[in-house]
Amino acid sequence: MYDKTVRRRRAVLVLLVVLSLLLLTAYFGEAPGGRLHAVQRGFLTVVSPIQDGANKALKPVRDLFGGIGDTFHAKSQRNQLLKQVGKLRRELVADQSEKRTYRQLLGIYHLDQLGINSYHPVTATVVAKSPNIWYSTVTIDKGEGAGLHVNDPVINGEGLVGKVTQVASDGAQVDLITDSRMGVSARIGTGNATGIIQPKVGDPNDLLLQYLPANTPAVAGEYVVTSGTVSSPDDSLYPPGIPIGQVTSVNEESAYRSVNVRPMANLHNLDVVQVLTTSSGTRATKLAGLAATLPPGHGAASSGASGEQLASTGAGG
Amino acid sequence: MSGSGISASLLLRVAAMSVICVFLQIGVVSEVPVFGITVDLSPLLVAFVGLLCGSMIGAVAGFAVGLLVDLALVQTLGVTSLIFTLIGYWSGRLRELRDPQAALTPLLVGASAAAVALVGYSLIEFMLGVDAPVSLELLRQIVLGVVVSSIVALPLWAIVRRILEGALPEDPRRRRRRRAYTTGGLSPLSRA
Repeated sequence: MYDKTVRRRRAVLVLLVVLSLLLLTAYFGEAPGGRLHAVQRGFLTVVSPIQDGANKALKPVRDLFGGIGDTFHAKSQRNQLLKQVGKLRRELVADQSEKRTYRQLLGIYHLDQLGINSYHPVTATVVAKSPNIWYSTVTIDKGEGAGLHVNDPVINGEGLVGKVTQVASDGAQVDLITDSRMGVSARIGTGNATGIIQPKVGDPNDLLLQYLPANTPAVAGEYVVTSGTVSSPDDSLYPPGIPIGQVTSVNEESAYRSVNVRPMANLHNLDVVQVLTTSSGTRATKLAGLAATLPPGHGAASSGASGEQLASTGAGG
Repeated sequence: MSGSGISASLLLRVAAMSVICVFLQIGVVSEVPVFGITVDLSPLLVAFVGLLCGSMIGAVAGFAVGLLVDLALVQTLGVTSLIFTLIGYWSGRLRELRDPQAALTPLLVGASAAAVALVGYSLIEFMLGVDAPVSLELLRQIVLGVVVSSIVALPLWAIVRRILEGALPEDPRRRRRRRAYTTGGLSPLSRA
C-alpha cells in the first residue's frame, strides 16, 4: 500500500515536470501564429472581460494602497519637480524662436499634418500586470475589435510605454519598455545619432541607450526620444519624438557610447494608455519616416512638437 | 472522501482559491509595489497548499496555478508551471517527512518558495537566452522580493489554512500525536 502511494506520487511529479518541459519547448520553438500562442490568445479573449470587471470592482482597493505609497514619494518628487520647473522655464524661453522656424519648415515639408491624432490613438485601460521581474507586461481592455494590431506603439501622457505583442478580440498584451524582450530605436533630444534603447533586467528604473557613435554628445538631464526608425522589418515603428526618458549618466566605451536613461512614464502605476493604431504603409507612418530623415536641428524641433501634440491629446488620464 | 483522503470539497476549495489568487495578483497586488517590489502571492499560495494538503495536491496545484499565470499573462508556457510544480511538491514533502509545527514555519516556507520562484525564473530565462543587458540590481530585487514575501507569508498562511481547514485529509502522524496527549497513552505522567 505504501509502495503504491510512493509510486503514484513520484509518477505524478514526473508527469507534471515532463508536461511543463514539453509545453516550454513547444512554445519556445513555435512561431507567434502557432497553436499554443493561439490557445493563449483564446484564453485572453475569455478572461479579458472578467479581468476588466474585476479591475473596476477592485480599483478602490488598489487606489487606497497606491495612495499610501504615493504619499511617501510625494515630498521628494516635489523638490525634484521644483528644480525641473526652473530649468524648463529657461529652456522654454530659448525654444520660442526655434519653434517659429520649425513651424515654417513643417509646412514646407508637408509634415504639419503629422501628430499623434493621425495615428488614430485608441484609449485603453490597464486591467492586469505581471508581477515577474523578467516579464514587464500589462493587459489592456481593447483588442482587435478596436483596431489594435501586433507591434502598435503604446504611449501615455508622460511618454512611451511599450508596444502591443498579442491581440485578442477584446484585449491585448503590451510589453513595457522595461521588458527584457524590448528594443526601441531612439536618439538624444538634439542629436542626430540613433541607438537602441534596451531595459536593464532587474532594474525597472534604468534603461540603456546603446550603440551610439563614440563622439555623440550626451549630458545628464537631456531627453531621449524615439527616432522614428526601425532596426529590423519586424520592429514597431514608433512615431518620432515620443519622449522615452532622461539621461542619468554617460558610459565611455571604446567603439560606442552608451547612456543610462530613467524612463519618463511611471510604469508602476499605469491606469490608462493610448495605442497608436495606424499600421505601416499608411500616410502617417510614411510622414513619420520622412520626419526622421530631417537634419539634426529639425529633428530636435520635431521631438518638441510631438511631445506637445502628445500632451494635447490628453493621453494618460 | 476517496481512499487517499482527498475530498471533492478540498479540490474545489483549492481550485477556487487558486483562481481568485491569480486574478487578485495580476489585477491588484501587481499594481501596488511595496518598497519598489511587486509581491508575488502565487508561489506562496502553492507552497502553503502543499504544506497543508501534501505533495501530490501541492504539485498538481502548482502546475495548474503556473499554467493559469502563464496563460493569463501571455508568458512563455511551461516556465511558471515547472517552477510551481516543484515548489508545491517539495513543501508537501516537508509536511509528509517532518511535519513542522513551529509558528515560524509558514514564514520560512514562504520565503523559500519566493526565493525558488525568483531564482528559478532567472535561471530559466538565462537558459532560454536574454537579449537585454542584466543589471546587478536583479540580485537586490531577488533579496528584497524574498523579504517582502516573508512579510506577507504569515497573513496569507492564516487565510489559506482557514479556507482549507474543514476539508483537509486526516494526517495519521497528527492523529497519533493528538491521541497520545488526549488519552494519556504516551504521556510520561501516565507511567507514574
